[in-house]
Amino acid sequence: MSGVVVVGLFEGIEKAAEAGNALRALPLAEDRITTLSSVPLPDGSVSRDTRQIRFPRVTLIGWFAGALAGLALALGTYLLYPLVTGGKAIVSVPPTLIITYEVAMLGALIGTIVAGFLEMGLMRFRTKLIHDPRIHEGKILLCASVEPGSQAEQVITTMKAAGGIDVRSEEGEL
Amino acid sequence: MNGASSQGGGNHLARTDQGELYRELSRSNLPATRRWYAVVGLLLLVTLWGVGCFVYMMKVGMGVTGLNRPVMWGALIASFVFWIGLSHSGTLISAILRITNATWRAPILRGAEAMTAFALMVGGLFPLIHIGRNWRFYYMLPYPNSRQLWPNLRSPLMWDAVAINTYLLGSLTFLYFGMIPDLAIARDHATGWRKRFYTVLALGFRGSHNEWRRYHVASTIFAILIIPVAVSVHSIVGWDFAMAKVPGWHSTIFAPYFVTGAIFSGLAGVVLVMAALRKVYRLENALTTVQFENLGKLLCTMSLLWGYFYFAEFLTVWYNRNPEEWEVYRSYGGHYLPLWLSMVVCNFVVPFPLLCMRRVRRSIPALCFVSFLVVVGMYAERFLIVVTSLARRNDPFIWRNYFPTWVEFSILAGALAMFLLLYTVFAKLFPIMAVSDIQERLFQTTDRIVGGTTVESIARPEAAGEGEHG
Amino acid sequence: MKHTWAMAIDLDRCTGCGACGVACTAENNVAVVGEAEVGKGRSMHWLRIARYWDGEYPEATAVYLPVPCMQCERAPCETVCPVYATYHNEDGLNAMVYNRCVGTRYCANNCPYSVRVFNWFDHIWEKPLDEQLSPDLTVRSRGVMEKCTFCIQRIRRAKETAAEEGRQIRDGEVVPACVQTCPPGALLFGDLADPHSEITRKMKDPRRFRLMEHLGTEPRVVYLKRQKGAGR
Repeated sequence: MSGVVVVGLFEGIEKAAEAGNALRALPLAEDRITTLSSVPLPDGSVSRDTRQIRFPRVTLIGWFAGALAGLALALGTYLLYPLVTGGKAIVSVPPTLIITYEVAMLGALIGTIVAGFLEMGLMRFRTKLIHDPRIHEGKILLCASVEPGSQAEQVITTMKAAGGIDVRSEEGEL
Repeated sequence: MNGASSQGGGNHLARTDQGELYRELSRSNLPATRRWYAVVGLLLLVTLWGVGCFVYMMKVGMGVTGLNRPVMWGALIASFVFWIGLSHSGTLISAILRITNATWRAPILRGAEAMTAFALMVGGLFPLIHIGRNWRFYYMLPYPNSRQLWPNLRSPLMWDAVAINTYLLGSLTFLYFGMIPDLAIARDHATGWRKRFYTVLALGFRGSHNEWRRYHVASTIFAILIIPVAVSVHSIVGWDFAMAKVPGWHSTIFAPYFVTGAIFSGLAGVVLVMAALRKVYRLENALTTVQFENLGKLLCTMSLLWGYFYFAEFLTVWYNRNPEEWEVYRSYGGHYLPLWLSMVVCNFVVPFPLLCMRRVRRSIPALCFVSFLVVVGMYAERFLIVVTSLARRNDPFIWRNYFPTWVEFSILAGALAMFLLLYTVFAKLFPIMAVSDIQERLFQTTDRIVGGTTVESIARPEAAGEGEHG
Repeated sequence: MKHTWAMAIDLDRCTGCGACGVACTAENNVAVVGEAEVGKGRSMHWLRIARYWDGEYPEATAVYLPVPCMQCERAPCETVCPVYATYHNEDGLNAMVYNRCVGTRYCANNCPYSVRVFNWFDHIWEKPLDEQLSPDLTVRSRGVMEKCTFCIQRIRRAKETAAEEGRQIRDGEVVPACVQTCPPGALLFGDLADPHSEITRKMKDPRRFRLMEHLGTEPRVVYLKRQKGAGR
């Protein structure tokens, strides 16, 4: 969501939930409503996450990519530098399994980090992000992404009526 | 504040002054005092002394240690295994307790995860310290070179290299990722250079609903991934010994035995570190007897498990009387009796009965005493395994005892000082208490009236990626 | 031609004089570390004379066992070296590559015969002793493992000579330093691939045994049991 965002602070989850319901009654689409809070709120308590969480697939992709890399490392070093050691086969299977497994886990970890960070929207240092440090005082920031103009006015009024503190419209990304 | 729910009272977070809570939990991040600088200075001194002794050893040769033929591995390798073992603390607590949703884990999460990361860093140095030509360590790295040489991945030492690096990256990620919401809170409270510092590190996390949901999924995935990595790492360290043709080392039980011992020593380490943090930064409200009692229960279980594994190993050798292995065991009653007794007494005979007593588990000083014994006993166990099997190996003509020299003692002291130094600096700069996890737990806890009494009720945390339950 | 070098040690003839160890040290640029270091268990002898006492006083006798590197077919030291500093070469010898060794000492731990020695310090040969060093071998730096090589430099020299002269290596042409020096002739060296060599005949001797054979290392060094008879 980007563009104009109307935000309002609410004391406690009950007030925020009422305001959320009021916004949805306007009507305002579910995917335009979200919250900023210092503790994670249960999904559906105030807002609902409509987008599917996709990055766990990258964990699996990373695992296989890592397994392939580990296999290449083990087989590569055996075949590029074939020396007989201890009467063992040049392509020794059990050590290959160990190395493949370890690098596979490494791949899964790296995949999760990268994809997780990207999907969470972290590291967007150059964008202006919507934020209010007062959420750490027990307040919840209810955010609604709106079209500027009449819809924004409507939302501001609704939030104020529901008990929102410092309801304002801001430019920024959520 | 929060409206009263129909079940009798708002959640515990609503009753808390979050600002006050943050100030209490972030006491370690206050500007450094003279006492802090003194402690850091002392630790730095000991670390540098250790480094100096290492450089001396590198220039003069490994002969300045007490090593000999046949005891080619000694205190340095025992320390390597010991520190990697200590690193299993964070994994157990953060990962396993996270997956099983044990709610008491919140205050000790960060401390344990930090311990894992730094114990791994210190432990990972020892393979570089103990090799004869340290300046050629890169021969063990698989890089293309003009002579077309590659390392031998059949060697358990190479498995060590791959596994420990994977685990190090995993635990650093786990530590950092877990800190992101806390860094965001710290950023919002900080001023000056700290604000810039935390702003960069928090990566723009603001606590939006979508961020939290994905954060939970990612944390769970990391936890699920890190557990098999941790198990495999210490199995591989155990296989450094089990793959050898040394009597007393060549045992199939070594992989699970070492993992159990690692978790055991890691837990004891966590108890000691958290007790120290609690004392120094006055975190009595967060680190309560609940945390320590539960750690004590886990420690009791691990002590029993360790005793079971050790007995199983001892029994098979005793029963079989295979002459090569029996000579090693005979030395436990001879020259190595003090070491063997320390191990058995400090790992099982004293801790297990004590930890069975609730009074001991609820008393932090008693628990610290037991944990200290365990740490000493586990070091004795590593030393016993490494040294005695080599000292009484196959050919009796070359049997020889081993004792570390001042150089090795200095390097060990330097390693400990380095760990404490890293930890102290970390606690000063980063949030050492998982504020967001503690807040989350308070948010989920409400008081429920059941009949004529009031009980604490904890809401079931949102299952990762499952959406609504209908 | 492929060679299979092997050694036979006749314990009936061995008197434990130690001349083989001295010859090996002289031939292979092995450092003499001094009494104090040997007392700490750091002797650099590639070939040790292990002495065991048999029986109790006054019937005690000494048993001498010269222990060189067994050059095992299934050498446990080779698999555990992380950098391939030791491997099995085409002649069936356990080769040691000094300048690849990083000094992890895992190979020494994995050798059940404990034949591998480690350079704990740098060794200096004061003048004029440096003139006794053999130019066919390096002088190893600190931090490097070394061990008996069956005098590989002599094997190489014999191969070169034979190739120059366009013939095969004759039996008895390659003589490691220890074999050359042994006064009672207890040590025998040769090529098992040669069906007519003396060592191939010795391998059929009913007195033969291998050290720690149950470990499955398949050593190339065979011992011939000491006979118990009148006056022994």
